[in-house]
Amino acid sequence: MSEYIIEMNHIRKEFPGIVANDDITLQLRKGEIHALLGENGAGKSTLMSVLFGLYQPEAGEIKKDGQVVKINNPNDATALGIGMVHQHFKLIDVFTVLDNIILGAETTGALGFLKKKEAREKVLALSEKYGLKVDVDAKVEDITVGMQQRVEILKMLYRDNEILIFDEPTAVLTPQEIDELMAIMKGFAKEGKSILFITHKLNEIMAVSDRVTVLRKGKYIGTVNTKDTNKQELSNMMVGRPVQLELDKKDATPGEVVLKVEGLTVPSKIHKNNAVNDVSFEVRAGEILCIAGIDGNGQTELIYGLTGLEKATAGTITLCGKDISKASIRERALSGMSHIPEDRHKHGLVLSYTLEQNMVLQKYKEPRFQNHGFIKFGEVRQYAEKLIKDYDVRSGQGPVTVARAMSGGNQQKAIIARELDREEPLLVAVQPTRGLDVGAIEHIHNQIVAERDKGHAVLLVSLELEEVMGLSDRILVIYEGEIVGEVDPKQTTPEELGLYMSGAKRQGKGVE
Amino acid sequence: MPGKDPFTGKLKWYKSEGAVAVYSALISILIGMAVGAVIVIIVGMAKANISTKGIWEGIRLVFLGVFSTGRDSAGNLTFGFNGVNIGNMLFRATPLIMTGLAVAVAFKTGLFNIGAAGQYLMGTMGTLSVGLWLGNSGCPKGIAWLCAFLTGVLLGALWGSIPGIFKAFLNINEVITCIMTNWIAANLVTWWFDAHDVFKNSAEGGKVGYIIPLKNVGVVTPKLLMDKLFAGSQANGGFWIAILIAVAMYIMMTKTTFGYELRACGANRHAAKYAGINDKRNIILSMAIAGALAAAGASLYYLSGNTEFYWSTYQKLPAEGFNGIPVALLAANHPIGVIFSGVFMSMLNISGIQLKYLTAYNEYIADIIIAVIVYLSAFSMLFKTVLSKRIKHDTGNVNAEPVPADDDSPPESLDELVSEVAEAVEIAETVAKKGGEE
Repeated sequence: MSEYIIEMNHIRKEFPGIVANDDITLQLRKGEIHALLGENGAGKSTLMSVLFGLYQPEAGEIKKDGQVVKINNPNDATALGIGMVHQHFKLIDVFTVLDNIILGAETTGALGFLKKKEAREKVLALSEKYGLKVDVDAKVEDITVGMQQRVEILKMLYRDNEILIFDEPTAVLTPQEIDELMAIMKGFAKEGKSILFITHKLNEIMAVSDRVTVLRKGKYIGTVNTKDTNKQELSNMMVGRPVQLELDKKDATPGEVVLKVEGLTVPSKIHKNNAVNDVSFEVRAGEILCIAGIDGNGQTELIYGLTGLEKATAGTITLCGKDISKASIRERALSGMSHIPEDRHKHGLVLSYTLEQNMVLQKYKEPRFQNHGFIKFGEVRQYAEKLIKDYDVRSGQGPVTVARAMSGGNQQKAIIARELDREEPLLVAVQPTRGLDVGAIEHIHNQIVAERDKGHAVLLVSLELEEVMGLSDRILVIYEGEIVGEVDPKQTTPEELGLYMSGAKRQGKGVE
Repeated sequence: MPGKDPFTGKLKWYKSEGAVAVYSALISILIGMAVGAVIVIIVGMAKANISTKGIWEGIRLVFLGVFSTGRDSAGNLTFGFNGVNIGNMLFRATPLIMTGLAVAVAFKTGLFNIGAAGQYLMGTMGTLSVGLWLGNSGCPKGIAWLCAFLTGVLLGALWGSIPGIFKAFLNINEVITCIMTNWIAANLVTWWFDAHDVFKNSAEGGKVGYIIPLKNVGVVTPKLLMDKLFAGSQANGGFWIAILIAVAMYIMMTKTTFGYELRACGANRHAAKYAGINDKRNIILSMAIAGALAAAGASLYYLSGNTEFYWSTYQKLPAEGFNGIPVALLAANHPIGVIFSGVFMSMLNISGIQLKYLTAYNEYIADIIIAVIVYLSAFSMLFKTVLSKRIKHDTGNVNAEPVPADDDSPPESLDELVSEVAEAVEIAETVAKKGGEE
């Protein structure tokens, strides 16, 4: 019996123009929780796709229990007992939980009828044994995201998988749910199951894993025992240079009110209730106010109502002393609001436009960039080149790169460059670091703090608890379209925030 | 088109996006012509009165009809410079270029203008009515010409803006409203001329079903050298005007803030909105411009003077309106490219006429070739994608995200492609059907 249940030795996988995996070795012991850490594009997903049989490596071998195996497709992987919880769940919304779990592994009787009763008993037994609470008869569309994840886990257990891969499993969970998941994972490991845990969140790695393998830009950096390392060392390994984990920021010195929102109500497009219901708050110059909450609790609609992308049915918005409740999107922007949108592909960029065209998305009408309606291409080029230089936006062909061809991180950098350079008194930043890696996040956080220190007001919407706690000066928690609490990040704990975020706790109405 | 587009990337010109568009258009054309030749062969073999020599003549005329100069004394086909054919080709190309522009400009704003036929009819009505009225009133002919042209354009713009308004404010698909407004226009025009006998040509025997041609009142586009270049043809200054308008559209779309807004709306309406661009206004304006362009095509066609309009058109839409779609598709919606694809389409038309006069074939062979090209021009987007991918692989695109699991854009664009192709094929079918009815 080999020491390792799965070994991936010297894996090399190339794509046209790039080596996604260059001599990577990953060894998973039986019964351990092994974290796979790396930035976006480090090659984690490619490596897992190789293990799952979606790609064939150019070099290297995969061993199961010391025997070399060939994994040609996902069915081979399943046969070897490898199961995976994908970051984006692969569930059928209109099927019940039970149907989703047995889908693809149905047991049938002589005439091809489903043996659902046996399946149900097996699922219930597994659910009981591991504390994975699910309602087997509920439709997937009606259950919470946390329960959907438990369904995914049950799918693996139902197939008697021994090797469980979790791909960024905590991205969609509340702090309480994350704790539960960690406990479940530890339970699996104790049972003798082996877990590969893909993540970029250092806290979780420290909390749950036994060993960590770090990848960077397609290369194997090293494998360390979790108990012999710390967050700082891991992040340095991941990024390749010393990273400052704790934001170095001075206390806020709030000035006058820049944005005042009173009784804002925005209808929902999905259900009959209001997505944002009677929300009031203020943001002052020189402070970062964060709206925290679990995804889908009205943050998006709140920002749409604020920026004019959607019509508010009630409430007033005052920006720099001017009532902009009825103003157009452009008027609001010109009244002093810059906006880093939540969805950079939907709102932030015209992907088929070049980088320079995107850089002047709001500014093209300024006299500087046009003369009697004719665009001054020279000026646009110069301005774009300046932003690219100042904000270190990297792209293949500089200003004439088509936005679609840029990496996600650089697309976001381009948007941030464009918005910060407008130097407006209010910056609305919605999930400004979504999908970015540690190095980029550090950079963007520093820029947002610098913006605050210049005396601008910052309204931040974030789903990342670490970001909420680290970056903001004041936190408002939104739950089902209402502000349920205001807390001071210096005095609160993630647990308390989690209670507000899940609706378990709320302060009295009329919170300012 | 390989040009000095200020926003083109650094790819070599023969690898640029424009060049790829030209290649894919040429592929469609070549396959279309080849299919035409095959049909010529099959028809020739099936018909007893066409010999092997006749088949060979047919094939040559399909490809070179515009250079045909008739038959020599020995009865063999002769080819060479034929000013009448080329002049007529340019003359017939004029309305096609304009309706092609009408489709292309709207498409750049993300709208599918299938309403060019109705807009064209509105332009016809406006131009003929005002031209005849002012031409008879003793007003200077130049001013009458201008008024007739502008009235047609204005009516077309109004007509085009209707689907635009519905799209902008009620989000009703412009394809549906365009089809409806097409038939409303057909009936409206019929009603208008039915009610106004003054416009009907009762002076010439048997022509009462037609409107008086504008040459009878002297409101005619100047020849502007066309009569010197292509003596004996119908060509006139209208072709130059069409080219000027195409160039103006190119400048508007690529060099101005207005074009920047229109294209932003077309490429990503959400981002345009986010940037503070008034997307509703731009959608309406884009459709109005499209309508004006299609109507201008009709105006230029009838202002040539000797063209006659059969006014009882309530059961029939002008083919020019629909042929604008393949013209725009072949040109990959590039305004300058539309000039060439418009001329090409009209060249096929001339080839058809030559076939009819010089051989036992009839001119419908040309229509079949056009239909095949229409089908293939829908696929030209597919050719384009395949070719662009090849070229990207050659140059090694290092920027593209290497990890497919993280990159969702290729399937997205494939979906887009599939739906676009499906849509285009559907349109092509409609066009083919319309062609068949006539």
